[in-house]
Amino acid sequence: MHDGQKPSRGVTRRTVLAGLGAAVALSAVARRAAAATGKEAPQLAALVKDGKLPPLAERIPPKPMVVKPFEKTGAYGGTLRRGLRGSSDHNGILRMVGNQGLVRWNMDFTEVLPNLAESWEVSADGTQFTFHLIPGVRWSDGHPFTAEDVVFAIEDCVKNSELYSATPAQLTVAGKPVVVEKIDDHTVKFTFAAANALYLENLATPLGQHPTLFPKHYCSKFLPKYNPNLEADVKAAGVTSWTELFRAKCGDIEIPSRWGNVDKPTLDPWVVKEPYSGGATRVVMTRNPYFWQVDTEGNQLPYVDEINFGISQDVESLMLNVISGKIDIQERHISVLANKPTLSQNMEKGDYRLLTLVPSAAQQCQIYLNMTHKDPAMRKMFADKSFRQALSLGLNRQEIIDIVYFGQSELFQTGPRPGHPWYHEKLARQFTEFDPDKANAMLDKAGYDKKDADGIRKRPDGQRVFFAIDVIPTLYPDLVDTLELVKAQWAQIGIDVKVNTIERALYYTRGDDNAHDAAVWPGSGGLDPMLDPRDFFAFHPQGSRYAIPWTLWYTSNGEKGEEPPESQKQRFKLFDEARSTADLAKRGEIMKQLFDITAEEFETIGVCLAVGGFGIIRNNLRNVPEKQPDSWSWPNPGPALPQQFTFTS
Amino acid sequence: MLKFIVKRLLWMIPSLFAVSFLSFVLIQLPPGDYVTTYIATLAASNEIVDQNTAAQLRERFGLDDPMLVQYFKWIWGILTRGDFGISFEWQQPVSGLIWERMALTLLLAVASLLATWAIALPIGVFSAVRKYSIGDYFFTAFTFFGLSVPSFLLALVLMYVAAVEFGQDVGGLFSSEFETAPWSIAKMLDLLTHLWLPVAILAVSSTASLIRVMRANMLDELPKPYVTTARAKGLSEFRLLTKYPMRIALNPFISTIAWLLPNLISGSVVVAIVLNLPTAAPLLLQSLMAQDMYLAGAFVLLICALTLIGSLISDILLALIDPRIRLE
Repeated sequence: MHDGQKPSRGVTRRTVLAGLGAAVALSAVARRAAAATGKEAPQLAALVKDGKLPPLAERIPPKPMVVKPFEKTGAYGGTLRRGLRGSSDHNGILRMVGNQGLVRWNMDFTEVLPNLAESWEVSADGTQFTFHLIPGVRWSDGHPFTAEDVVFAIEDCVKNSELYSATPAQLTVAGKPVVVEKIDDHTVKFTFAAANALYLENLATPLGQHPTLFPKHYCSKFLPKYNPNLEADVKAAGVTSWTELFRAKCGDIEIPSRWGNVDKPTLDPWVVKEPYSGGATRVVMTRNPYFWQVDTEGNQLPYVDEINFGISQDVESLMLNVISGKIDIQERHISVLANKPTLSQNMEKGDYRLLTLVPSAAQQCQIYLNMTHKDPAMRKMFADKSFRQALSLGLNRQEIIDIVYFGQSELFQTGPRPGHPWYHEKLARQFTEFDPDKANAMLDKAGYDKKDADGIRKRPDGQRVFFAIDVIPTLYPDLVDTLELVKAQWAQIGIDVKVNTIERALYYTRGDDNAHDAAVWPGSGGLDPMLDPRDFFAFHPQGSRYAIPWTLWYTSNGEKGEEPPESQKQRFKLFDEARSTADLAKRGEIMKQLFDITAEEFETIGVCLAVGGFGIIRNNLRNVPEKQPDSWSWPNPGPALPQQFTFTS
Repeated sequence: MLKFIVKRLLWMIPSLFAVSFLSFVLIQLPPGDYVTTYIATLAASNEIVDQNTAAQLRERFGLDDPMLVQYFKWIWGILTRGDFGISFEWQQPVSGLIWERMALTLLLAVASLLATWAIALPIGVFSAVRKYSIGDYFFTAFTFFGLSVPSFLLALVLMYVAAVEFGQDVGGLFSSEFETAPWSIAKMLDLLTHLWLPVAILAVSSTASLIRVMRANMLDELPKPYVTTARAKGLSEFRLLTKYPMRIALNPFISTIAWLLPNLISGSVVVAIVLNLPTAAPLLLQSLMAQDMYLAGAFVLLICALTLIGSLISDILLALIDPRIRLE
C-alpha cells in the first residue's frame, strides 16, 4: 500500500554492512549471499537496521517454503480488516491465521501438500508416518522449530492425561494413542497401533494442528514435568490448577485463549498484538518477522502488515460495515441467502466484488427420521424402508428449490457432489421424482391405508401418523421455510408433521437423549466423504440423527448404545477398511461398496443439493481466489493462503 | 435513621444469598449446558469439536456435578477467597473480565443520566406551567414519539444513515487509532465525538418518560393553596417554581437513582450490542447465551447487590430531601 520494498532494501543492506566489524562482516556476507534474493517488509528492514532484529537470512530457513502468488507478486503493506462475532468466534481467527500444520490442502481440496513437513514417507501397512521438517524454521520469537517441538507437543502435552483426559480422536487408532519419536533434529516418526491411511488428510484439517501447536521452549514452563516451581506459578497467576494455566498460556486448537496470549510463540504468518479476550472490541494480528515462507521471487511473506478483526456484537452491524466498505474480506456470518440482494446492490458503494463459496456439504436439508425412536410404534414406522421411500416420493423438490432457493439447486439425496470422482448416481438421485400416486400406493401397502376425518393416515395401532421435525430457526432460517413446504406437501399424501422450531442447545440435548422424532440439518460429505460420512452410516454421535444409539455403539466399540443391524456393521467394517487403505483408487472402490449399501438402505431423505454461500472481497485486495470450498476441513479462507493476499493502492 | 440503615444493611445479606442461589438455578434451567451450547455455536459455522474433547470439557468444568455442589463450590470461593471463578469461555478470571469494562460503562451511564435530567427537568416544568400551549403540544408529541420508538431501532436507523449516507464511523466508543492508545486529550475528544450518539439514543426514551412524570407532578402541585399564597405574597414566578412545587415534584428523579446502579450493567443491552459499545451489557448477554455460568452468575449477583445498594441510597436521599418521608 505504501512505498515499495526496493528502496528500503538497498538502505538496509548498505547500512548493516557498514555497521558491522570486519571479521563479523565476512561471515555475514557469506550468509547473505545464500539468500541474496530475499526481501522483507520495510518495517522489518528498519528494525534490522536498528539492530533490533537479526537480518532476514538468519530469520528464515536456507530453503524456505516457496508460495506461488495466486495472481501476481504482491507489495508489502496495508491492514486487512475482517469481522468477528462477539462470542465463541475464535475459529474465525483460526481460519484466517492459524493454518500452519505439518501438511496443508491444495486449492481444490483434493490433495495434501507439504507445509512444515517438506516431505514424508508412509509405511506400506499405513501405520508409520515419517515427516521431514523444513530445516531452519523458527518460532515467532526466533527460537528454532525442530523435531523436539513435535515430540513435546504430542508426547508431553496431548498425551498428558491430566491435560487431555482423552487423547483427541484423530491421534487415536484402535483405542491406542499415537507414538511420536524423534529420528533426528528434523525428522519425526508417528507410529499408530493400526493402519491409519487417512492420517495425512486429517492432519491437513484444523483438528490436525496439534503437532505444531506447542513450542517446547515456552510451553514446557507450564508442565509439572519440566517446571518444579509450577505450583508457585499457578498460585501467582491466580488460577486453581496447572492445566488451567497451561490452557490460558498455550491454548489449544479451538479455544479462545489460543489467541489471548501475546507471548506465545507461533509458526503463523501473523502473531497476536491485541489479544482476543472477553473485554476485547477488536483483535489485531501483526506480521511474524520469522515467518518461513517466501514468494517465487524470494520476498518473505506475508505481504499484509496487520489483520484487524473488528468484533461486532451483532451481525447486522457487521453487514453495515461490509456495505459501507469497512471490511476487506468477509464471508463468515454474512453468508445468509437473505443478505445476497443487499450485498449485490451495494457492490459499487462498498467497492467490493463477490466471493463464491462451493459448499463441501452434499445436502441443503437432510431429513433424519429417528429409526431408533424410544416409542416402539414410531420406531417401527420409521424403520420401514418403504415408508421413507414414499415420503421421499411425496416431496415436490422443484417447488421448494424455486421458492426457497431461487432455483439455485438441483434434486438430490445424499453422497459426493456431482463432479466428485466418487459421485454415486443411485445414492444421489433415487426417489427424487415427485410422484404422489406412487407414494400413496406405497403407504397404503405398508399398512397406513386408513385415514381419519382430516384425511391424515392412521397407523395400524389407530394413532394418527404424526411426528415433529426439529429445526433451529436462528441457525438455518431457510430450513424452516423448506419444512413449511414439506409439511404442506406431505399433508397431500396424508402425513401430518409439526415443524418444531427450537433453540439450538435444546436441539442438541434432544439428540443426545435420543428424544427427537425427526430432525433436519445440512447433509455433509459432498466434497469430503471420508472426513464426515455421517449420512452414509451411523458415524457421528451428534450428527447421524437417524440412529444416535447406533453411533454410540460404533464409537464405543460396542460398549454403549444399541446394537445396529447387519447392514450398518458391514459399513463400519468397510469404512474402517477404507480408512486404512492408502491407495486412493482402491479406497474409492471400497467406498463405492459402502455407498451401494447406503443407497439400498435409504436411511435419510434429502431435498436438494447444498446451495453455495458467498462473501465479499474489496476490489483493492488481490491474490484472493474468487471461488473457494466452504468447509471446516478446508478452513476457508486459510488454505487459499492469506499470507499472499495483497493490496493494490 | 442510623438504626434504619443498619437494619437495611443486615437484611441485604440473606437477600443476596437467596438471589444468588435463585440466579444460579435460573441460569442452569435452560436445556443443555455450556458444552452443548459451545458445540452448537461451532456447528453454526460448520465447525466440529473433537469428540473426545467435548466429553472431557464437561468433566473439567465440573458440569457433571449436581447443581447444589456446583453452587456451593462457587459461593465458597467467593466467601473465602473473593474468587468469582473462571469464565468457561475465556479461561479468564470472572472479576477481571467484569472490571475491565466497568469504567466505560459507568461513564456512559452517568453521561446519559445527566443528559436525561438536563433535558427532562426544564421541559417538564415548562410543559406544566404552559399547559396546552403550542410548546406543550410539541413536547408532548416528542415524548410520545420517544416513548414509542424502540431505542435499538433508533440506533440502527441512525447508524445506517451515518454510515451509508455520510460515511462516518459510528460503532464503538473510539476511532481505531485511539482504541488502545493511552489516555490523552486527543483520545478524550475522540471519545466525545463517539459518545453523543449512544448518549442521545439512550437518553431519548428515559427523557420522554421523565418529562411526562415531571409534568404530571407539577400539575398536581401548581393549583395547591401554598402556590397561590406565595404568588400573592409577590414572589417572582421563577423563584416560586424552583423553591416550592419543583422540590416536591423532584421525588421521582431521586427514585431513579435506585435503578441507575443496576442499569449500569443490564440497562441498554440491545442498544449497546447494536452500537457495539465496549460496556458490560453485551458481555452479560453473551455469558447468558453461552451458559457461561460463573460469569453470568457473577453479573447477576452484582446487579442484585447494586439494586439493593441503589435503593438504600435513594431512600436515604429521599428522606433528606423530603421531610414528609422522614416523619413517616
